[in-house]
Amino acid sequence: MCRADILLGYIGLAEWQLCPAFPEPHGLAEVGFFVFGAPVNKIVRIGILFSRSGDYQIVANASYNGALAAIEAINADPGRPVRFEARERDPQGRIEQYGPLCRELLRDDDVQHIIGCTTSWSRKDVIPILERHGGLLWYPCPYEGFEASDRVIYTHACPNQHIVPLLAYIVPRFGSDAFLVGSNYIWGWEVNRVARDLIGDVNGRVLGERYLSIGDVDVDRLIAEIRIARPSFILNNLIGQSSYAFLRAYARLGQEDEHFTARHCPVVSCNLTEPELPAIGPAAEGLMSVGPYFANPACRDATSPSSDHAAAYAAVVMLADAIEAAGTADAEAVRQILVTKEFETPLGLVHVDRQTQHTALPVHIGRVENGAFHGVWQSESAYAPDPYLSRPGSRILPGGSRLRMVS
Amino acid sequence: MSPLGQRASRIPKLGGKCALILHRQHANLAALSRQLAAIGLDAREVWPTLPADAYEADFVFFDVDMACDDQFPWAPGEAPMPLIALIGSEAPGRIEWAISHRADAHILKPIGSAGIYSALLIALQKFEERRALVEEIAGMRVQIAQRGLVVRAILHLIQQGMSEEDAFRELRTIAMHERITLEMAAQNLVQGIYLRRNRRSQS
Repeated sequence: MCRADILLGYIGLAEWQLCPAFPEPHGLAEVGFFVFGAPVNKIVRIGILFSRSGDYQIVANASYNGALAAIEAINADPGRPVRFEARERDPQGRIEQYGPLCRELLRDDDVQHIIGCTTSWSRKDVIPILERHGGLLWYPCPYEGFEASDRVIYTHACPNQHIVPLLAYIVPRFGSDAFLVGSNYIWGWEVNRVARDLIGDVNGRVLGERYLSIGDVDVDRLIAEIRIARPSFILNNLIGQSSYAFLRAYARLGQEDEHFTARHCPVVSCNLTEPELPAIGPAAEGLMSVGPYFANPACRDATSPSSDHAAAYAAVVMLADAIEAAGTADAEAVRQILVTKEFETPLGLVHVDRQTQHTALPVHIGRVENGAFHGVWQSESAYAPDPYLSRPGSRILPGGSRLRMVS
Repeated sequence: MSPLGQRASRIPKLGGKCALILHRQHANLAALSRQLAAIGLDAREVWPTLPADAYEADFVFFDVDMACDDQFPWAPGEAPMPLIALIGSEAPGRIEWAISHRADAHILKPIGSAGIYSALLIALQKFEERRALVEEIAGMRVQIAQRGLVVRAILHLIQQGMSEEDAFRELRTIAMHERITLEMAAQNLVQGIYLRRNRRSQS
């Protein structure tokens, strides 16, 4: 044990919270002691805020498991000076729970870093609380973009890393007559909004756009409309049980009419991942999805079972590395040093963009075959994040040519 | 069901747009500049006056607390781009002054990550709406000014033996054929009469 730990123990601090640049006001100045970046074994409390029950629990649990697996790995690594202690809260899929539980973590548990949130709705609810308390949210899910909060580190894909490359792949192969479906909240609305623009650029048509409330499984009318519209593909932005009910019903439609099969009119999405496949069952065959990672056999070096898991795992690894590099868990110091480093994670060697605090990520497109994603396309390198789709080339086909319709 | 080709609105492309921030050095500026860079704009902080090339900017943010008319190269209300007011003190005099400059949107200080993207989009939409209205009003003023010409053209056609209704129809047909406005058709007709009269009087 080094001198710092002895002294911390002496003054009764169970947990390391010191920082040379940001000394904590726990009477340390009174004893005239500071730690100057020396590596010391230290326990850092971090918050875990995922809904372990409720409508989208499958995906949330995948993220939760990824975060916990990373914490376990870091705590077991003798080469690392940092140790994490997880403080968990479960909003149970109830939107009104996220804000109060986030506040509890920041105020009562004294954490500065929270790994959590699945829906954009919940993320937007906790941001004002993070701003008030100076905390950081490590957000490990794909989202619709058009946000760059300095209180959030985004470790999963934003639109130029999901919907743009997905449509660039789909439209030339299947045609540009789209039917857009989604859950009735910001994810579906905004991803479909971007899709409308992209499809419009190639003179494609949106034959229908329909939304279901989260949890609504009454999909008959939706299926009837798709049957009449006969699109060339369906962009599915439904989440949770609505999505699974829709996919099962669409598979039944495909048994009646061959047009509605993956060969002619695939269902594609930006957020379908491995842990959801068992819930969908055989109806998952042929579904296509885009993400920064798919588990083996679609992706090399698959150490995580899904991108939800991998992005949450990556968030914890990046946090640990940044704390060690900064010599402190202080949110501001971590934020500053984070954008100067590269991190070895299950998503590959990644870095966080200084301007947007989004992660540069590879892009993979996978198709479900025999209950697992198989890669059909992958980017040559990581895509720099562009959450506002404002950078040159962000709204065109990777490689420089505009999306072209071949149908 | 809405075929996409009929959609009018699109997500505006803000990437590469230039924004000037007329504000004294302050921590607020860092947050604003950071967020504008994240959105993809090139932002430049200027104080105490807007530079000569300010007319080229796509957006101007201005400090309502400390700025005054002399800092702008244009008269109040005549900015050639969307203006976004940065409001700290909500004193009525300062708000009144911001309104005199026709701010298209505003952001309250302290400035954080939120509110800047929406302010850009609202300001852009308001500015374009205002510009379209100004153009429409100018066009209508021209139309009103040309009412006399239309009356004279109609009278001329009536004198040629047409009914009032036929005269109107004739004028409208000429405008349609020549793909010009009714007022321009009237002007051409009246000018033609003058030319013929002049030719007759000269011969």
